[in-house]
Amino acid sequence: MSELRFETLSHAELYNVSASFTAGTHVVLGSERDGTGTFVQLAAGIVAPATGRVLLDGVSAWSNARTRRRIASLSAEETLLPARDVTGAIALALRARGDARSALSVLDDAGLARLATQRLSDLTAREARAVTLSIALSHREPALLALHEPLNAVGILHDEFVLQALARFSAAGAIVLCSASRLEDAARLGGTASALERGLWLGSAHARPPLSTITLRIHTPEPRRLAARLSEAPDISGVEWAGGQELLVHGSELEALAHSVVANARAEAIRITALKQDCPPLEALAAARAGLAQAYYERARAAGNAPTTPASQS
Amino acid sequence: MNGVGIGLALARARLRGPTSALVLLSSGAALFAISVLERQSDPASAPDDALSGAVFGIALPLLAYLVSERVCAGQRLQHSLDGVARYGTNRRTALLGLLLASALCSAFASALLTIAALLGAHAPHSTSLIADLRASVGIALIAGAVYALYFGAASLLGKRGGGRKWALIIDFVLGAGGSALAAPWPRGHVRNLLGGEPVVELSQLSAWLALAVIGAACLTLSVARTAE
Repeated sequence: MSELRFETLSHAELYNVSASFTAGTHVVLGSERDGTGTFVQLAAGIVAPATGRVLLDGVSAWSNARTRRRIASLSAEETLLPARDVTGAIALALRARGDARSALSVLDDAGLARLATQRLSDLTAREARAVTLSIALSHREPALLALHEPLNAVGILHDEFVLQALARFSAAGAIVLCSASRLEDAARLGGTASALERGLWLGSAHARPPLSTITLRIHTPEPRRLAARLSEAPDISGVEWAGGQELLVHGSELEALAHSVVANARAEAIRITALKQDCPPLEALAAARAGLAQAYYERARAAGNAPTTPASQS
Repeated sequence: MNGVGIGLALARARLRGPTSALVLLSSGAALFAISVLERQSDPASAPDDALSGAVFGIALPLLAYLVSERVCAGQRLQHSLDGVARYGTNRRTALLGLLLASALCSAFASALLTIAALLGAHAPHSTSLIADLRASVGIALIAGAVYALYFGAASLLGKRGGGRKWALIIDFVLGAGGSALAAPWPRGHVRNLLGGEPVVELSQLSAWLALAVIGAACLTLSVARTAE
Protein backbone atom coordinates (compact mmCIF):
# COMPACT_ATOMS: atom_id res chain seq x y z
CA MET A 1 0.00 0.00 0.00
CA SER A 2 1.37 3.44 -0.94
CA GLU A 3 2.14 6.05 1.67
CA LEU A 4 2.75 9.78 1.26
CA ARG A 5 4.63 11.44 4.11
CA PHE A 6 5.36 15.08 4.85
CA GLU A 7 8.22 15.30 7.37
CA THR A 8 8.71 18.60 9.26
CA LEU A 9 8.15 20.47 6.04
CA SER A 10 8.45 24.24 5.78
CA HIS A 11 8.05 25.89 2.40
CA ALA A 12 6.53 29.25 1.40
CA GLU A 13 3.29 29.55 3.43
CA LEU A 14 3.65 26.11 5.02
CA TYR A 15 5.18 25.85 8.47
CA ASN A 16 6.44 22.67 10.08
CA VAL A 17 3.94 20.34 8.42
CA SER A 18 4.10 16.67 9.36
CA ALA A 19 1.42 14.40 8.01
CA SER A 20 0.97 11.06 6.30
CA PHE A 21 -1.61 9.69 3.91
CA THR A 22 -2.39 6.15 2.81
CA ALA A 23 -4.71 4.78 0.12
CA GLY A 24 -8.09 6.46 -0.08
CA THR A 25 -9.47 9.93 -0.53
CA HIS A 26 -8.12 12.79 1.59
CA VAL A 27 -9.35 16.36 1.39
CA VAL A 28 -7.31 19.29 2.67
CA LEU A 29 -9.52 22.25 3.45
CA GLY A 30 -8.18 25.74 3.09
CA SER A 31 -7.55 28.50 0.61
CA GLU A 32 -4.44 29.14 -1.47
CA ARG A 33 -3.46 31.75 1.11
CA ASP A 34 -3.40 28.92 3.65
CA GLY A 35 -0.91 27.06 1.47
CA THR A 36 -3.06 24.38 -0.18
CA GLY A 37 -1.64 25.11 -3.64
CA THR A 38 1.93 24.76 -2.37
CA PHE A 39 0.94 21.64 -0.44
CA VAL A 40 -0.33 19.93 -3.59
CA GLN A 41 2.72 20.96 -5.64
CA LEU A 42 5.04 19.59 -2.96
CA ALA A 43 3.08 16.33 -2.79
CA ALA A 44 3.33 15.94 -6.57
CA GLY A 45 7.08 16.60 -6.63
CA ILE A 46 6.63 19.68 -8.81
CA VAL A 47 8.62 21.87 -6.43
CA ALA A 48 11.46 20.97 -4.09
CA PRO A 49 10.79 21.59 -0.38
CA ALA A 50 12.87 24.34 1.22
CA THR A 51 13.25 22.34 4.45
CA GLY A 52 11.91 18.96 5.43
CA ARG A 53 10.97 16.09 3.15
CA VAL A 54 8.05 14.85 1.11
CA LEU A 55 8.25 11.11 0.46
CA LEU A 56 6.07 8.79 -1.58
CA ASP A 57 6.80 5.24 -0.47
CA GLY A 58 10.01 6.48 1.11
CA VAL A 59 11.29 8.24 -2.02
CA SER A 60 11.37 11.96 -2.74
CA ALA A 61 9.26 12.55 -5.85
CA TRP A 62 11.07 15.79 -6.65
CA SER A 63 14.37 14.01 -7.22
CA ASN A 64 13.15 10.68 -8.59
CA ALA A 65 11.67 10.47 -12.08
CA ARG A 66 10.27 6.95 -11.62
CA THR A 67 8.29 8.09 -8.58
CA ARG A 68 6.97 11.17 -10.39
CA ARG A 69 5.71 8.92 -13.17
CA ARG A 70 3.33 7.33 -10.63
CA ILE A 71 1.83 10.71 -9.74
CA ALA A 72 -0.98 12.57 -11.45
CA SER A 73 -1.32 16.20 -10.47
CA LEU A 74 -3.25 19.42 -10.91
CA SER A 75 -1.85 22.74 -9.68
CA ALA A 76 -3.61 26.00 -8.91
CA GLU A 77 -2.35 27.51 -12.17
CA GLU A 78 -1.61 25.40 -15.17
CA THR A 79 0.30 26.07 -18.35
CA LEU A 80 0.15 23.35 -20.96
CA LEU A 81 3.36 22.11 -22.59
CA PRO A 82 4.31 24.11 -25.70
CA ALA A 83 2.68 22.84 -28.88
CA ARG A 84 0.67 23.99 -31.88
CA ASP A 85 -2.63 23.02 -30.25
CA VAL A 86 -4.16 21.23 -27.28
CA THR A 87 -3.74 17.81 -28.89
CA GLY A 88 -0.01 18.43 -29.37
CA ALA A 89 0.40 19.54 -25.75
CA ILE A 90 -1.37 16.45 -24.45
CA ALA A 91 0.61 14.20 -26.78
CA LEU A 92 3.87 15.59 -25.39
CA ALA A 93 2.63 15.14 -21.81
CA LEU A 94 1.62 11.53 -22.51
CA ARG A 95 4.98 10.88 -24.15
CA ALA A 96 6.72 12.34 -21.10
CA ARG A 97 4.70 9.95 -18.92
CA GLY A 98 5.53 7.01 -21.17
CA ASP A 99 1.86 6.56 -22.05
CA ALA A 100 1.19 5.20 -25.52
CA ARG A 101 -2.44 6.25 -25.80
CA SER A 102 -3.53 9.01 -28.14
CA ALA A 103 -4.21 12.57 -27.05
CA LEU A 104 -7.59 12.49 -28.74
CA SER A 105 -8.73 9.52 -26.68
CA VAL A 106 -7.84 11.40 -23.48
CA LEU A 107 -9.88 14.39 -24.63
CA ASP A 108 -12.75 12.16 -25.77
CA ASP A 109 -12.94 10.35 -22.44
CA ALA A 110 -13.15 13.67 -20.62
CA GLY A 111 -15.71 15.11 -23.01
CA LEU A 112 -13.26 17.78 -24.18
CA ALA A 113 -12.94 16.77 -27.83
CA ARG A 114 -14.09 20.26 -28.83
CA LEU A 115 -10.78 21.67 -27.52
CA ALA A 116 -8.60 19.31 -29.59
CA THR A 117 -7.60 21.75 -32.32
CA GLN A 118 -7.69 24.88 -30.20
CA ARG A 119 -4.49 26.94 -29.97
CA LEU A 120 -2.99 27.08 -26.49
CA SER A 121 -3.04 30.87 -26.50
CA ASP A 122 -6.82 30.78 -26.98
CA LEU A 123 -7.44 28.63 -23.90
CA THR A 124 -8.76 30.25 -20.75
CA ALA A 125 -7.08 29.51 -17.44
CA ARG A 126 -10.01 27.26 -16.44
CA GLU A 127 -9.84 25.36 -19.71
CA ALA A 128 -6.09 24.81 -19.25
CA ARG A 129 -6.81 23.39 -15.78
CA ALA A 130 -9.56 21.18 -17.17
CA VAL A 131 -7.23 19.79 -19.85
CA THR A 132 -4.51 19.16 -17.24
CA LEU A 133 -7.07 17.43 -15.03
CA SER A 134 -8.11 15.23 -17.95
CA ILE A 135 -4.45 14.24 -18.40
CA ALA A 136 -4.20 13.47 -14.67
CA LEU A 137 -7.38 11.39 -14.67
CA SER A 138 -6.20 9.44 -17.72
CA HIS A 139 -3.30 7.94 -15.72
CA ARG A 140 -3.52 4.17 -15.84
CA GLU A 141 -2.07 3.25 -12.44
CA PRO A 142 -1.25 6.24 -10.28
CA ALA A 143 0.04 5.75 -6.75
CA LEU A 144 -0.92 9.32 -5.94
CA LEU A 145 -3.29 11.91 -7.36
CA ALA A 146 -2.45 15.34 -5.97
CA LEU A 147 -5.16 17.70 -7.16
CA HIS A 148 -5.74 21.33 -6.26
CA GLU A 149 -9.45 22.18 -6.28
CA PRO A 150 -10.42 19.50 -8.83
CA LEU A 151 -14.10 20.44 -8.68
CA ASN A 152 -13.31 23.98 -9.85
CA ALA A 153 -12.88 22.53 -13.32
CA VAL A 154 -16.47 21.27 -13.24
CA GLY A 155 -18.52 23.08 -15.81
CA ILE A 156 -15.89 22.40 -18.44
CA LEU A 157 -15.55 18.81 -17.29
CA HIS A 158 -18.59 16.86 -16.10
CA ASP A 159 -18.63 16.54 -12.31
CA GLU A 160 -19.72 12.89 -12.56
CA PHE A 161 -16.67 12.14 -14.70
CA VAL A 162 -14.34 13.71 -12.12
CA LEU A 163 -15.99 12.19 -9.04
CA GLN A 164 -16.29 8.71 -10.58
CA ALA A 165 -12.68 8.73 -11.72
CA LEU A 166 -11.50 9.78 -8.25
CA ALA A 167 -13.65 7.10 -6.60
CA ARG A 168 -12.25 4.53 -9.02
CA PHE A 169 -8.64 5.48 -8.26
CA SER A 170 -9.34 5.51 -4.53
CA ALA A 171 -10.91 2.06 -4.68
CA ALA A 172 -7.93 0.79 -6.69
CA GLY A 173 -5.59 1.69 -3.82
CA ALA A 174 -4.28 5.06 -4.92
CA ILE A 175 -3.84 8.01 -2.58
CA VAL A 176 -6.27 10.67 -3.75
CA LEU A 177 -5.20 13.94 -2.15
CA CYS A 178 -7.38 16.92 -3.03
CA SER A 179 -7.55 20.45 -1.72
CA ALA A 180 -10.82 22.33 -1.44
CA SER A 181 -11.63 25.81 -0.29
CA ARG A 182 -15.37 25.20 -0.19
CA LEU A 183 -16.91 22.85 2.32
CA GLU A 184 -19.47 21.82 -0.26
CA ASP A 185 -16.69 20.58 -2.54
CA ALA A 186 -15.03 18.77 0.37
CA ALA A 187 -18.30 17.01 1.17
CA ARG A 188 -18.70 15.94 -2.46
CA LEU A 189 -15.13 14.65 -2.65
CA GLY A 190 -15.65 12.63 0.55
CA GLY A 191 -12.91 10.76 2.40
CA THR A 192 -11.02 12.05 5.43
CA ALA A 193 -10.73 15.78 5.95
CA SER A 194 -7.76 17.78 7.21
CA ALA A 195 -7.14 21.50 7.04
CA LEU A 196 -4.46 24.10 6.55
CA GLU A 197 -4.81 27.36 8.46
CA ARG A 198 -2.33 30.05 7.43
CA GLY A 199 0.27 27.40 6.75
CA LEU A 200 -0.33 25.45 9.94
CA TRP A 201 -1.38 21.85 9.51
CA LEU A 202 -4.55 20.75 11.25
CA GLY A 203 -4.80 16.97 11.04
CA SER A 204 -7.99 15.05 10.44
CA ALA A 205 -8.57 14.67 14.20
CA HIS A 206 -8.65 18.46 14.51
CA ALA A 207 -10.69 19.04 11.41
CA ARG A 208 -13.27 16.38 12.13
CA PRO A 209 -15.48 18.16 14.72
CA PRO A 210 -16.81 20.90 12.44
CA LEU A 211 -17.20 18.51 9.54
CA SER A 212 -18.80 15.69 11.47
CA THR A 213 -21.94 17.67 12.29
CA ILE A 214 -24.42 16.73 9.63
CA THR A 215 -27.56 18.79 9.15
CA LEU A 216 -30.67 17.62 7.32
CA ARG A 217 -33.23 20.09 6.05
CA ILE A 218 -36.68 18.47 6.23
CA HIS A 219 -39.96 19.78 4.85
CA THR A 220 -43.17 18.44 6.40
CA PRO A 221 -46.76 19.68 6.85
CA GLU A 222 -46.53 18.75 10.57
CA PRO A 223 -43.20 20.16 11.76
CA ARG A 224 -44.23 20.58 15.41
CA ARG A 225 -45.18 16.93 15.85
CA LEU A 226 -42.11 15.69 13.99
CA ALA A 227 -39.80 17.98 16.02
CA ALA A 228 -41.27 16.65 19.25
CA ARG A 229 -40.74 13.07 18.14
CA LEU A 230 -37.21 13.64 16.83
CA SER A 231 -36.08 15.51 19.92
CA GLU A 232 -36.29 12.20 21.83
CA ALA A 233 -34.50 10.09 19.21
CA PRO A 234 -31.02 8.90 20.32
CA ASP A 235 -29.34 9.34 16.90
CA ILE A 236 -30.32 13.00 16.68
CA SER A 237 -28.25 15.59 18.50
CA GLY A 238 -30.56 18.56 17.90
CA VAL A 239 -33.69 19.79 16.17
CA GLU A 240 -34.37 23.39 15.08
CA TRP A 241 -37.75 24.74 14.05
CA ALA A 242 -38.04 28.40 13.20
CA GLY A 243 -41.67 28.30 12.12
CA GLY A 244 -42.95 27.30 8.71
CA GLN A 245 -42.72 23.79 7.35
CA GLU A 246 -38.98 23.36 7.60
CA LEU A 247 -37.00 21.55 10.30
CA LEU A 248 -33.23 21.44 10.70
CA VAL A 249 -32.11 18.15 12.21
CA HIS A 250 -28.52 17.66 13.42
CA GLY A 251 -26.56 14.47 13.89
CA SER A 252 -23.16 12.92 13.36
CA GLU A 253 -23.67 10.34 10.60
CA LEU A 254 -25.63 11.01 7.48
CA GLU A 255 -27.14 7.58 6.89
CA ALA A 256 -28.08 6.97 10.54
CA LEU A 257 -29.58 10.44 10.75
CA ALA A 258 -31.69 10.05 7.61
CA HIS A 259 -32.80 6.58 8.67
CA SER A 260 -33.82 7.84 12.10
CA VAL A 261 -35.81 10.75 10.65
CA VAL A 262 -37.69 8.51 8.22
CA ALA A 263 -38.35 5.82 10.85
CA ASN A 264 -39.70 8.34 13.38
CA ALA A 265 -41.87 10.07 10.79
CA ARG A 266 -43.29 6.73 9.67
CA ALA A 267 -43.99 5.71 13.27
CA GLU A 268 -46.06 8.87 13.78
CA ALA A 269 -47.56 8.70 10.26
CA ILE A 270 -46.10 12.12 9.45
CA ARG A 271 -45.55 12.89 5.77
CA ILE A 272 -42.13 14.23 4.67
CA THR A 273 -42.23 16.24 1.46
CA ALA A 274 -38.51 16.97 1.12
CA LEU A 275 -35.27 15.89 2.77
CA LYS A 276 -31.82 17.11 1.85
CA GLN A 277 -28.41 17.51 3.39
CA ASP A 278 -27.41 21.00 4.45
CA CYS A 279 -23.83 22.26 4.43
CA PRO A 280 -22.73 24.60 7.19
CA PRO A 281 -21.69 28.07 6.02
CA LEU A 282 -18.05 28.67 5.16
CA GLU A 283 -17.81 31.24 7.95
CA ALA A 284 -18.60 28.53 10.50
CA LEU A 285 -15.83 26.37 9.11
CA ALA A 286 -13.37 29.27 9.07
CA ALA A 287 -14.23 30.11 12.67
CA ALA A 288 -13.77 26.50 13.69
CA ARG A 289 -10.45 26.32 11.89
CA ALA A 290 -9.24 29.55 13.44
CA GLY A 291 -10.16 28.19 16.87
CA LEU A 292 -8.25 25.00 16.19
CA ALA A 293 -5.22 26.96 14.98
CA GLN A 294 -5.29 28.99 18.17
CA ALA A 295 -5.52 25.80 20.22
CA TYR A 296 -2.62 24.34 18.29
CA TYR A 297 -0.53 27.43 18.92
CA GLU A 298 -1.32 27.53 22.62
CA ARG A 299 -0.48 23.87 22.98
CA ALA A 300 2.84 24.43 21.22
CA ARG A 301 3.58 27.48 23.40
CA ALA A 302 2.77 25.53 26.54
CA ALA A 303 5.32 22.94 25.39
CA GLY A 304 7.88 25.74 24.90
CA ASN A 305 7.90 25.26 21.14
CA ALA A 306 5.90 28.19 19.89
CA PRO A 307 5.99 28.59 16.11
CA THR A 308 6.82 32.09 14.92
CA THR A 309 4.52 32.39 11.95
CA PRO A 310 2.33 35.29 10.92
CA ALA A 311 -0.60 33.33 12.37
CA SER A 312 1.05 33.09 15.77
CA GLN A 313 2.19 36.72 15.79
CA SER A 314 -1.23 38.12 15.09
CA MET B 1 16.69 7.52 -24.13
CA ASN B 2 13.11 8.70 -24.32
CA GLY B 3 14.05 11.67 -22.14
CA VAL B 4 16.44 13.02 -24.80
CA GLY B 5 13.64 12.82 -27.35
CA ILE B 6 11.30 14.64 -24.97
CA GLY B 7 13.91 17.38 -24.49
CA LEU B 8 14.36 17.68 -28.25
CA ALA B 9 10.58 17.85 -28.77
CA LEU B 10 10.25 20.48 -26.05
CA ALA B 11 13.01 22.62 -27.57
CA ARG B 12 11.56 22.26 -31.07
CA ALA B 13 8.16 23.37 -29.83
CA ARG B 14 9.68 26.41 -28.15
CA LEU B 15 11.76 27.38 -31.17
CA ARG B 16 8.89 26.92 -33.59
CA GLY B 17 7.21 30.00 -34.93
CA PRO B 18 7.80 32.80 -37.41
CA THR B 19 9.95 34.87 -35.04
CA SER B 20 12.91 32.46 -35.14
CA ALA B 21 12.97 32.37 -38.94
CA LEU B 22 12.50 36.13 -39.13
CA VAL B 23 15.42 36.82 -36.76
CA LEU B 24 17.66 34.44 -38.73
CA LEU B 25 16.72 35.92 -42.08
CA SER B 26 17.07 39.52 -40.96
CA SER B 27 20.43 38.76 -39.29
CA GLY B 28 21.64 37.07 -42.46
CA ALA B 29 20.51 40.00 -44.58
CA ALA B 30 22.16 42.53 -42.24
CA LEU B 31 25.45 40.61 -42.22
CA PHE B 32 25.36 40.32 -46.00
CA ALA B 33 24.87 44.09 -46.26
CA ILE B 34 27.68 44.82 -43.77
CA SER B 35 30.01 42.50 -45.67
CA VAL B 36 29.22 44.21 -48.98
CA LEU B 37 30.08 47.54 -47.38
CA GLU B 38 33.36 46.05 -46.03
CA ARG B 39 34.19 44.80 -49.54
CA GLN B 40 33.58 48.23 -51.01
CA SER B 41 35.94 49.87 -48.51
CA ASP B 42 38.70 47.19 -48.59
CA PRO B 43 38.13 44.07 -50.72
CA ALA B 44 41.28 42.29 -49.51
CA SER B 45 40.46 42.33 -45.80
CA ALA B 46 36.66 42.29 -46.12
CA PRO B 47 36.14 38.54 -45.39
CA ASP B 48 38.37 38.62 -42.29
CA ASP B 49 36.88 41.84 -41.00
CA ALA B 50 33.30 40.67 -41.51
CA LEU B 51 33.89 37.31 -39.89
CA SER B 52 35.92 38.42 -36.88
CA GLY B 53 33.84 41.53 -36.30
CA ALA B 54 30.19 41.31 -37.22
CA VAL B 55 29.69 37.54 -37.47
CA PHE B 56 31.75 35.87 -34.73
CA GLY B 57 32.23 38.98 -32.62
CA ILE B 58 28.62 40.12 -32.33
CA ALA B 59 25.99 38.13 -34.26
CA LEU B 60 26.96 34.62 -33.25
CA PRO B 61 27.06 35.17 -29.44
CA LEU B 62 23.85 37.21 -29.59
CA LEU B 63 22.07 34.59 -31.67
CA ALA B 64 23.22 31.76 -29.40
CA TYR B 65 22.03 33.82 -26.44
CA LEU B 66 18.61 34.30 -28.02
CA VAL B 67 18.34 30.61 -28.89
CA SER B 68 19.23 29.69 -25.31
CA GLU B 69 16.72 32.18 -23.92
CA ARG B 70 14.01 30.78 -26.17
CA VAL B 71 14.82 27.12 -25.52
CA CYS B 72 14.74 27.72 -21.75
CA ALA B 73 11.48 29.68 -22.14
CA GLY B 74 13.12 32.62 -20.34
CA GLN B 75 13.58 30.52 -17.20
CA ARG B 76 16.33 28.90 -15.23
CA LEU B 77 17.60 25.84 -17.11
CA GLN B 78 16.39 23.31 -14.51
CA HIS B 79 12.97 24.97 -14.20
CA SER B 80 12.49 25.03 -17.95
CA LEU B 81 12.12 21.24 -17.72
CA ASP B 82 9.56 21.19 -14.90
CA GLY B 83 6.69 20.93 -17.37
CA VAL B 84 7.79 17.52 -18.62
CA ALA B 85 9.47 16.42 -15.38
CA ARG B 86 6.14 16.42 -13.53
CA TYR B 87 4.97 13.63 -15.82
CA GLY B 88 7.94 11.46 -14.92
CA THR B 89 10.61 12.42 -17.42
CA ASN B 90 14.15 12.38 -16.07
CA ARG B 91 15.28 16.01 -16.01
CA ARG B 92 18.87 15.10 -16.83
CA THR B 93 18.11 13.19 -20.00
CA ALA B 94 15.56 15.80 -21.06
CA LEU B 95 18.22 18.45 -20.45
CA LEU B 96 20.58 16.62 -22.80
CA GLY B 97 17.90 16.76 -25.49
CA LEU B 98 17.20 20.41 -24.81
CA LEU B 99 20.88 21.38 -25.00
CA LEU B 100 21.40 19.19 -28.05
CA ALA B 101 18.60 21.02 -29.84
CA SER B 102 19.99 24.36 -28.72
CA ALA B 103 23.51 23.44 -29.91
CA LEU B 104 22.30 22.14 -33.27
CA CYS B 105 20.15 25.20 -33.84
CA SER B 106 22.93 27.64 -32.91
CA ALA B 107 25.47 25.76 -35.01
CA PHE B 108 23.14 25.73 -38.02
CA ALA B 109 22.31 29.42 -37.63
CA SER B 110 26.00 30.31 -37.22
CA ALA B 111 26.85 28.45 -40.40
CA LEU B 112 24.12 30.26 -42.32
CA LEU B 113 25.26 33.66 -41.02
CA THR B 114 28.86 32.85 -41.93
CA ILE B 115 27.82 31.88 -45.46
CA ALA B 116 25.76 35.07 -45.81
CA ALA B 117 28.68 37.22 -44.64
CA LEU B 118 31.22 35.52 -46.92
CA LEU B 119 28.91 35.82 -49.93
CA GLY B 120 28.75 39.54 -49.28
CA ALA B 121 32.48 39.96 -48.53
CA HIS B 122 33.72 38.17 -51.63
CA ALA B 123 33.33 39.48 -55.14
CA PRO B 124 31.07 37.35 -57.36
CA HIS B 125 33.04 34.42 -58.90
CA SER B 126 35.88 34.95 -56.43
CA THR B 127 38.23 31.96 -56.41
CA SER B 128 38.89 32.18 -52.67
CA LEU B 129 35.21 32.00 -51.70
CA ILE B 130 35.02 28.20 -51.59
CA ALA B 131 38.22 27.91 -49.56
CA ASP B 132 36.99 30.54 -47.10
CA LEU B 133 33.62 28.82 -46.80
CA ARG B 134 35.25 25.48 -46.16
CA ALA B 135 37.44 26.88 -43.38
CA SER B 136 34.90 29.19 -41.76
CA VAL B 137 31.78 27.03 -41.73
CA GLY B 138 33.54 24.40 -39.60
CA ILE B 139 34.53 27.09 -37.11
CA ALA B 140 30.98 28.46 -37.15
CA LEU B 141 29.49 25.04 -36.43
CA ILE B 142 31.66 24.36 -33.40
CA ALA B 143 31.49 27.96 -32.15
CA GLY B 144 27.69 27.96 -32.36
CA ALA B 145 27.45 24.67 -30.48
CA VAL B 146 29.91 25.74 -27.77
CA TYR B 147 28.19 29.09 -27.27
CA ALA B 148 24.85 27.25 -26.89
CA LEU B 149 26.30 24.96 -24.20
CA TYR B 150 28.00 27.95 -22.56
CA PHE B 151 24.74 29.91 -22.30
CA GLY B 152 22.97 26.73 -21.20
CA ALA B 153 25.31 26.35 -18.24
CA ALA B 154 24.99 30.07 -17.46
CA SER B 155 21.21 29.58 -17.35
CA LEU B 156 21.72 27.53 -14.19
CA LEU B 157 22.28 30.82 -12.37
CA GLY B 158 19.66 33.36 -11.39
CA LYS B 159 16.03 33.01 -10.52
CA ARG B 160 15.00 33.29 -14.18
CA GLY B 161 18.27 32.20 -15.72
CA GLY B 162 19.74 35.72 -15.49
CA GLY B 163 23.20 34.14 -15.65
CA ARG B 164 22.79 34.11 -19.44
CA LYS B 165 23.02 37.89 -19.59
CA TRP B 166 26.10 37.94 -17.37
CA ALA B 167 27.70 35.23 -19.49
CA LEU B 168 27.15 37.35 -22.60
CA ILE B 169 28.70 40.42 -20.96
CA ILE B 170 31.64 38.51 -19.46
CA ASP B 171 32.38 36.88 -22.81
CA PHE B 172 32.36 40.29 -24.51
CA VAL B 173 34.55 41.94 -21.87
CA LEU B 174 37.00 39.28 -20.69
CA GLY B 175 37.05 37.25 -23.89
CA ALA B 176 38.24 40.29 -25.87
CA GLY B 177 41.79 40.12 -24.46
CA GLY B 178 44.56 37.61 -24.96
CA SER B 179 45.50 37.03 -21.30
CA ALA B 180 44.70 34.06 -19.08
CA LEU B 181 41.49 35.85 -18.09
CA ALA B 182 40.16 35.15 -21.60
CA ALA B 183 40.90 31.42 -21.44
CA PRO B 184 37.61 30.18 -19.87
CA TRP B 185 35.38 31.98 -22.42
CA PRO B 186 34.71 30.96 -26.04
CA ARG B 187 35.36 34.35 -27.70
CA GLY B 188 39.18 34.36 -27.53
CA HIS B 189 39.49 30.83 -28.89
CA VAL B 190 37.08 31.49 -31.76
CA ARG B 191 39.12 34.60 -32.61
CA ASN B 192 42.28 32.48 -32.58
CA LEU B 193 40.71 30.01 -35.04
CA LEU B 194 39.86 32.88 -37.36
CA GLY B 195 43.50 33.95 -37.38
CA GLY B 196 43.26 36.64 -34.74
CA GLU B 197 45.17 37.18 -31.51
CA PRO B 198 45.53 33.88 -29.60
CA VAL B 199 44.69 33.44 -25.94
CA VAL B 200 47.84 32.87 -23.85
CA GLU B 201 49.74 32.05 -27.05
CA LEU B 202 47.72 28.87 -27.67
CA SER B 203 48.05 27.28 -31.10
CA GLN B 204 45.00 26.89 -33.32
CA LEU B 205 44.87 23.18 -32.57
CA SER B 206 44.82 24.03 -28.87
CA ALA B 207 42.02 26.54 -29.54
CA TRP B 208 39.90 23.74 -31.03
CA LEU B 209 40.62 21.66 -27.96
CA ALA B 210 39.89 24.59 -25.64
CA LEU B 211 36.49 25.09 -27.25
CA ALA B 212 35.76 21.38 -26.94
CA VAL B 213 36.77 21.46 -23.27
CA ILE B 214 34.60 24.53 -22.59
CA GLY B 215 31.63 22.84 -24.27
CA ALA B 216 32.14 19.55 -22.41
CA ALA B 217 32.62 21.34 -19.08
CA CYS B 218 29.45 23.37 -19.56
CA LEU B 219 27.47 20.26 -20.49
CA THR B 220 28.81 18.31 -17.51
CA LEU B 221 28.06 21.20 -15.16
CA SER B 222 24.52 21.53 -16.50
CA VAL B 223 23.78 17.84 -16.02
CA ALA B 224 25.45 17.67 -12.61
CA ARG B 225 23.54 20.68 -11.27
CA THR B 226 20.16 19.33 -12.38
CA ALA B 227 18.13 16.97 -10.23
CA GLU B 228 16.78 13.77 -11.74
